[in-house]
Amino acid sequence: MKFKNWIYTTALGLAISFTGIQETSAQEKYFRAIGTPHNPKVPVSWNRYHTNLALEEIMRDMAKKHPDLVKLESMGKSYQGNDIWVLIVTDFKAGKAEDKPGMWIDGNIHSNEIQGTEFTLYTAWYLSEMYGELEFITQLLKDKTFYIAPTINPDAHDNFIKEPNTQNSPRSGMINMDDDGDGVIGEDPFDDINKDGHITMMIRKSPTGRYVKDQMDPRKLIMVAPDQKGEYEMLGYEGIDNDGDGFVNEDAIGYYDPNRDWGWNWQPDYVQRGAWKYPFSVPENKAVMEYVMKHPNIAAAQSYHNYGGMILRGPGAEEDLGTYNQTDIRIYDAIAKKGEEFMPGYKYLVVYKDLYSVFGGQLDWFYGGRGIFTYSNELMTSYLYVHKNAGRGNQDEQMMVDTYLTFGDAFVNWAEYDHPQYGKIEVGGFKKNFGRLHPGFLLEQDAHRNAAFTILHGYHTPKLSVMDVKEEDLGGGLKAVTATIYNERLIPTHSSQDLKYKIERPDYVSITGAKVVAGFVVDNEDFNRLSEQKVNPEKISVANIPGMGAVKVRWIVSGSGNYSINVDSAKGGKASWKK
Amino acid sequence: MKKMYLSLVLGTGLLFSVHSTALAQGDYPTLGQITQRLQAISGSGSAAKLSSLTKTEGGKDIWVLKIGTGDLDNKPAIAVVGGAEGFHVLSVELALQFAERLLRDHKSALDQNTFYIFPNMSPDAYEQYHASLKYERRGNAAKIDHDRDGQVSEDGYEDLNKDGLITMMRVESPMGEYMVNEKDERLMTKADRSKAQKGNYLMMPESMDKDKDGSFGEDLVEGIAFNKSMTYKFPIFQPLAGEIAVSQVESRALLDYLFDQWNIFAFVTFSPANNLSAPLKYNAGDAKKRIIASMLEKDVAINGMVSGIYNETITQKAFNQTNQGTDGDFFQWAYFHFGRLSFSTPGWWVPEVKGEEGKSNSNAEANFLAWAASENLNNVFVPWAPVTHPDFPGQKVEVGGIKPFVMYNPPFTKVDSIAIEHTDFILKLAALSPKVEFHNVKSEKLGNGLTRITADLFNNSPLPTHSEMGEKSRWLRKIRVDISKDAADLVSGEKIKLIDKLDAYGKTTLSWVVKGSGSVDIKAGAAHTGIATLNVKL
Repeated sequence: MKFKNWIYTTALGLAISFTGIQETSAQEKYFRAIGTPHNPKVPVSWNRYHTNLALEEIMRDMAKKHPDLVKLESMGKSYQGNDIWVLIVTDFKAGKAEDKPGMWIDGNIHSNEIQGTEFTLYTAWYLSEMYGELEFITQLLKDKTFYIAPTINPDAHDNFIKEPNTQNSPRSGMINMDDDGDGVIGEDPFDDINKDGHITMMIRKSPTGRYVKDQMDPRKLIMVAPDQKGEYEMLGYEGIDNDGDGFVNEDAIGYYDPNRDWGWNWQPDYVQRGAWKYPFSVPENKAVMEYVMKHPNIAAAQSYHNYGGMILRGPGAEEDLGTYNQTDIRIYDAIAKKGEEFMPGYKYLVVYKDLYSVFGGQLDWFYGGRGIFTYSNELMTSYLYVHKNAGRGNQDEQMMVDTYLTFGDAFVNWAEYDHPQYGKIEVGGFKKNFGRLHPGFLLEQDAHRNAAFTILHGYHTPKLSVMDVKEEDLGGGLKAVTATIYNERLIPTHSSQDLKYKIERPDYVSITGAKVVAGFVVDNEDFNRLSEQKVNPEKISVANIPGMGAVKVRWIVSGSGNYSINVDSAKGGKASWKK
Repeated sequence: MKKMYLSLVLGTGLLFSVHSTALAQGDYPTLGQITQRLQAISGSGSAAKLSSLTKTEGGKDIWVLKIGTGDLDNKPAIAVVGGAEGFHVLSVELALQFAERLLRDHKSALDQNTFYIFPNMSPDAYEQYHASLKYERRGNAAKIDHDRDGQVSEDGYEDLNKDGLITMMRVESPMGEYMVNEKDERLMTKADRSKAQKGNYLMMPESMDKDKDGSFGEDLVEGIAFNKSMTYKFPIFQPLAGEIAVSQVESRALLDYLFDQWNIFAFVTFSPANNLSAPLKYNAGDAKKRIIASMLEKDVAINGMVSGIYNETITQKAFNQTNQGTDGDFFQWAYFHFGRLSFSTPGWWVPEVKGEEGKSNSNAEANFLAWAASENLNNVFVPWAPVTHPDFPGQKVEVGGIKPFVMYNPPFTKVDSIAIEHTDFILKLAALSPKVEFHNVKSEKLGNGLTRITADLFNNSPLPTHSEMGEKSRWLRKIRVDISKDAADLVSGEKIKLIDKLDAYGKTTLSWVVKGSGSVDIKAGAAHTGIATLNVKL
């Protein structure tokens, strides 16, 4: 009886699931909203944040569902032994990944800046799901390789989410240090007095306090007029004096700044606060650096931070002003100014003069140390809330947003607690995931806009072709073969920084199948100005193939017969031509 | 095989007679001999502990000897560094002999101080001194494309005259920039075009243009130079420096180790730079920049004082000591990026030789040859002799010049006296180390179980506890004062107090009002100043 029942139920289940599959095909259930994969092989909700566990599941699923488009690799281990993952997204059937110009994208170098993780992941997801559906994306993945690292700081990514933190902590990774110079490491971190996972503010009733609660909205603490008596004093972030030295929260995780650890004009802590021992002393950064060094095809890069709605380029420090020359700045400007047009609320700025002067930053190493065209975007701006420029941390606007859009989800209401040192206090304030981070309903659209910006950037890495091959009979069995190598995108094979320091090898243009008597770079074809390469003339070294420009090479060859011409550029990829 | 047997015998000998071996040796030691001598002084029962920080790309150990007794991590320490440059073999011997002499003759120094000896930071390069092909090498065994042309080490030296030495090569050419020196025909001098002099020789290291790029010896078969790859003024992308500061495993291992040794107050590095014969100069403009590029004013004064002690202790008079630091070097790193007092000396330099007119020779090579003649050193020069060179068919090419190493390293017989003097200097420097002490301790009964404790914390040293740079650095700890009473029993005064700095012979007054009876323990100090303790009866 029981057995029979089981068979019956199973059969029914099978039948339902069969019809289920037929009935719930995409066409039946979903209708494409323009711009978004409406029936993705890897379903992801882009209105929440993912922990490392969820991230890894999604990344593995992407690699599994798109075996010809997505591969997942570990670049190395973090300080706490987590893998630092990178997704390689390209059409693996259309040439080797490392032979195509590469676009690097990473997020979350600063632990609390976790939307960068979501935006990078979105980019990988969007590219892989849209391949085959959109001609532009399909061709892009045939031409380019995207290296996408959602978090290059996985330890502290999860620490921010899972442990009590402020909106700003931790900024470091999880290496703990002696911040106050007392010989003890990390002995006085924040303390989550109300045990809600958020480090909010402590206030205390005090006859000499200068603040009162706003009668219109008691969540708001406002300062009284200079001649008025207040009711509350501010005590700072939740914490107690753990080591009995008379200070609260003075030695938490870190402190070091992973974005002061990079190897271009690195400076020590007393010059550049946040630097640690030497460039790449932070293990996560070392893993990224080594990966980038092993992938010389990376020609463009993007890193994500928060906050402020900015598209940033270097130099990070005024002292490096000379590093960025006009040729390269024109390219930076062209891409970023286009980005400003389709990223409302985002402004294109230069770090050292519009933000602050900083040494040892990641974008400076990518450009200064590797010659890679790099932007760093400061994600989220209050402009996205209601399209006004109320400014960062505007309490009135934030309260309004939390009242009418998030219905109280962003704020921990004041409640009384007993503090071992301060006595009776109240704890409350904005949660760690409000302010710097996007609320759920803004995540997907800003992810898409930023992804679009990196797609534009990646699109403009070099695309080389042998455009034109001319033969001229010189008599005596000799002929001149002149080939034009064209780069049909904005970014050159070598930035001017690259040329200045000879960072990457030259591009090679080779001829095979012909007996070469002499070889030249053609400086001016009309007036026959040539530079001869006497050694190894079959393989002409070309210093650079400029963006939206071309170089010409010429060989004097003897004999007839078919030959082929091959272009080999580290950052520009490969191109070939056959007679 | 034979060699190994020999060194085993030598090693056994060493175990029995530490004294004589160093002195009995005829030449600078091999890496194997260095290891044996280190092991010999660090056996069981020794105050010296030997450990290997890492192995270089060439598979060589980076040794550290930590020498100390008692609470050795809380005694002010000096770090002695040798082998900053591989060709400076003297520096390794000086560091080694300091360790040997400290342990043999000056053990009482360990009562107050701890010593770290890093005898050889460039073992891969050092080995070239004993190799069949000898040349002045700086780089380790990493594979580096020095001229950044996409090929690795394709254009190193070539022993054209097969004498086992890399010297210079001159090519007769009307386009040459060099001419034979007027006073000493062995030497070549750059033609002075402002005096209408015409050169007739090209000069280049003994090499061939293997990659046919027109340059000679521009992509050496060696890797990164330790003393050109530190973070202070790191010469990025230059030959022997590489693409990233502190990129090599031995540099990282050393720095990682040092960043954990909080008790080091000063460094003595044996390297070509010299800020002991004369102190570094103060430049107000450079000292005030965001990236500080001059030793700070108060620290220059300290450097001056220590330099005075050096000049009193070392008999050799300074000559041609113009190198006060080069980009990416170690000794400047220890000051500018590690906040410690940092001193460097080559240990020896070619002494001044005055000519008949009583004037010294401004040409360093001519001075060297004059000195060598006065010392009857006949084996320091390879006479110019023709070779056939494939890159210069039909041209006269000669190989010759001063032999490698001899301008930086004296004959080995001179080393002992140099080592003795430098040992004395380091010990005098150690004796200056910051030293915190309690003075004028008072305990006053205030009645009703309250006691006021007052004490002066005094730095009994001509050095401040923190150099001006050290105050800025996160890598020196503050002076911490602890009292063994619960905060609840402290009516006034702090349970933990941090003090930024005490000046040379400077003091600060501490005071507490304490509840209760019995006694309290107070301790004050930092690892690099020593810790003072006090017990006060209530």
